[in-house]
Amino acid sequence: MNEGEKMKPLQIGYLLRSGTTGFVAGCSVSQLASPALGALISAPLSSGYQVYGLIHDIHIDDDGLVRQLVTADNISQEVMRDNRERRIVPVEMSVLTVGWEQDGRISHLLPPRPPLSLDVINLCDEDELVKFTGAGSFGYFRHVLRNKDLPIGEILAAHIQQAGAAHAHKGNLLWQEQAAQELIILLRDDYPTLMSVLSALGDALPLDK
Amino acid sequence: MTIDYQQVIQKIREIAAGAKQSDEQISARRLRASSLLEAHANRLDELLYKVDQACEHDPSLRCALPVSDALNASVELPDLPPQVTLIAADGSQINPDRHAALFFSLINVGAIVIEPGSGKTPDIFTFSDLKYGEELYTDTGLLGEDLIAMGRDLAERQKLLDLAEKYPSPVVALTDGPVEVWGPKDGSLEAYRRTLETHLLVLSRLQDRDVTLGGLVDKPGANLVVRLLEIAEMHVENLKDIRKKSSLRGVSDRWLFRQLPPGARSAVFGLQSSSRAHYKGGLALHFFYLNTSSDGHPYLVRVEIPAWVAQDESKLNMLHAALISQCRILGARSYPYILHRAHEIAVVKLQEKQQVEQMLMLELLKAGAEVGEPSNKQATKDLPGRGSK
Repeated sequence: MNEGEKMKPLQIGYLLRSGTTGFVAGCSVSQLASPALGALISAPLSSGYQVYGLIHDIHIDDDGLVRQLVTADNISQEVMRDNRERRIVPVEMSVLTVGWEQDGRISHLLPPRPPLSLDVINLCDEDELVKFTGAGSFGYFRHVLRNKDLPIGEILAAHIQQAGAAHAHKGNLLWQEQAAQELIILLRDDYPTLMSVLSALGDALPLDK
Repeated sequence: MTIDYQQVIQKIREIAAGAKQSDEQISARRLRASSLLEAHANRLDELLYKVDQACEHDPSLRCALPVSDALNASVELPDLPPQVTLIAADGSQINPDRHAALFFSLINVGAIVIEPGSGKTPDIFTFSDLKYGEELYTDTGLLGEDLIAMGRDLAERQKLLDLAEKYPSPVVALTDGPVEVWGPKDGSLEAYRRTLETHLLVLSRLQDRDVTLGGLVDKPGANLVVRLLEIAEMHVENLKDIRKKSSLRGVSDRWLFRQLPPGARSAVFGLQSSSRAHYKGGLALHFFYLNTSSDGHPYLVRVEIPAWVAQDESKLNMLHAALISQCRILGARSYPYILHRAHEIAVVKLQEKQQVEQMLMLELLKAGAEVGEPSNKQATKDLPGRGSK
């Protein structure tokens, strides 16, 4: 596929609020099929600059009507679809900022400036995922690891599973193992977190015995 | 300053002290109303005659008219046809506010179409009508709140008609509130007449389209059937004093029909009111009461229908079944889901009002037009931290 045939990015929502270390994107329930926990997303800004993030939480708020509906005996398909597709029930995705790109050059540092309200949020495709996670030496892991109040193990397990599959598809079968090794090194002085991360990785990945 | 609770608590104590006596009075009247309902259940011709006589003395009399069912009839919940289209429309409005920076009105109509059992996603629609400048004046002056409310009601019916023509039959079309359009208290009679003419035209087209139309009045305060019973217990020669007589005051129709089993409806009644002269033939207004609860705690609503629905048993059954099936969706709070959604789509929030105002102001400024400013009173009220509106 040449440059002209490049696939259109998969838009999964718009930015609601942001900061340097993370941001929150919103989408409608009908767009919820694509984003997943641990997925790499990007917010393309201007002139070759884009911010990358990992989804660490997907949140759906209730409202009075939904609470009322759950008290009924059964909910018909039409009512369910009305609530999911027609009512304004935004899905909020919380994202940890893990790096940025300027003119094709990837950095695993925090970005110079965050994305702005209503900036488009795209789900990274396999090429982008491989490009971002293969750049440098897993420097972006530290942005996840310093958030001790998040389920770090689950987020990393989901992310490594997705990125590992993308790398394997491109012929790099070692990426997953290298990522696990890097995590062991980064967490060598934090035994409880290391065990929690390894336990999640063990559940997610087909580790060689 | 806040409320003088010392004064209020004194009044509250007086109210509470008198409540028991008042309850006893109302209990006695309720018993009498129940007896009258039973006693006159099948004396329909006699009641019609008496209402006619009463109308001669008070043409604006508002009460129920017996049709063909016994007054105390109860009709069980019928089945909903397997294929039916439900449409509901509701409206909201922004009234012109002389204290605001800009003088404008907005009518917003929300509508929803549901095809129960189809599994399809319901369709939703909005219609917004902004009026500014000369559009806010009638032949006799400024558009009042009542005329804007009438315009909103008319826009709701028009939307029902538009949608009814686009979806498969049979169609049940619902509004929140009565089918009847009320006359303005402060607007011009000419504007009311024109609105009424259009309303009747829309109703006729809904009839031609064979639409089952119903207007749901939630927690109805009317005592139309009770008023009929008051007439029933009067001697014909005393009917000349009908305006002054209210022997069952405090008894409501809701109480009278609380015995209806869950999901059941009352008999269909005609509506005697000053507007009867306008709503003729197939458009003549009728109503029934419906117990929308699904348990032992009755919850009565009044459903207003035109004659073309009242006289067609299959339409009546379809409307009855559709309303109950919609009420069941919301569980314990039995209100038709489709009407709630129409309201949700139609309602204009304060933030949206401010947004429209801002958009209008920006465009006017861009065009070099003169824009006003809020009154000092309003500006002071809007100061943060005052806690007053």
